[in-house]
Amino acid sequence: MAFFRNLGRSLMGGLGNNLSGLSSTSYEMTCSSFLSQLRTFIQMRTVLKVVDNSGAKKVMCIQALKGKKGARLGDTIVASVKEAMPNGKVKKGKVVYGVVVRAAMQRGRCDGSEVKFDDNAVVLVDKQGQPIGTRVFGPVPHELRKKKHVKILTLAEHIA
Amino acid sequence: MRLEKCWFCSSTVYPGHGIQFVRNDAKIFRFCRSKCHKNFKMKRNPRKVKWTKAYRRLNGKDMTQDSTFEFERKRNRPERYDRNLAENTLKAIKKIDKIRVAREERHHSKRMVGKKSKERKEAGVELEQGIHMIKAPSVLAQDQSLTLPKIKVKVSQAQSEKNQPMEE
Repeated sequence: MAFFRNLGRSLMGGLGNNLSGLSSTSYEMTCSSFLSQLRTFIQMRTVLKVVDNSGAKKVMCIQALKGKKGARLGDTIVASVKEAMPNGKVKKGKVVYGVVVRAAMQRGRCDGSEVKFDDNAVVLVDKQGQPIGTRVFGPVPHELRKKKHVKILTLAEHIA
Repeated sequence: MRLEKCWFCSSTVYPGHGIQFVRNDAKIFRFCRSKCHKNFKMKRNPRKVKWTKAYRRLNGKDMTQDSTFEFERKRNRPERYDRNLAENTLKAIKKIDKIRVAREERHHSKRMVGKKSKERKEAGVELEQGIHMIKAPSVLAQDQSLTLPKIKVKVSQAQSEKNQPMEE
């Protein structure tokens, strides 16, 4: 009799556990679908859009030159060109330097507020920090002035 | 320093507060706190969320057009500093604020006209419909009044008698 009772309890316990497990997973799923994806640093293997007319379309970050966790808005990265226009200055497979001009992860401003952008975008520069292209598309943050990238700011359409 | 308005709730965003989101077409969305930012991320329409200024304006809860709002306007040209002008402005701010508050109060009281009678009417209907819960139908047939008979209970004398031995 006792054995049966034990069995029943263990069965019930197992069922209960399963039920609770199921409910928790479904809850997490609904939560994640409601909240947007967590934005993180620009790190190794992050693919960024190139927003100048250097000829590259997409680059993959292979090294952040600043920051332990990765690069943020305004930081310089080393990247490899993954997609390029057929007759551009930059060819596919080349290793280039770039300045992160837009980042989806928020970044603190000097007054304590924060700023974030729609996507991760980069402007290709040479080793001295001069931009390779002659145009910059889309908004760029004014913090680039602090980072000594005034050339990019003058080329930019909008400054946010 | 410029005080911007929150895109979602239209409250003032003070320096160092909130977050701003720059869309790829360079439109800037400023938010006063994470509550507004989250609501924006959930793609909620501020006109449909009841606690925002946009909703209250749209549904006639707040004043929409008033001459006092004209002073709080975005000016793209910075004003040249003038001591007298600054002094007069500081004086005017207090006066304008007083006028605005008074007008808002008047607007609220105008909006609330007829609320009391409406509430009374609704309460009366509820009493009529729910009278069987406090008064049996047979009793109601004898006595038509909807109020309960007053019962007087004497409490003060009994308490004073009890308290006397405690004090001694």
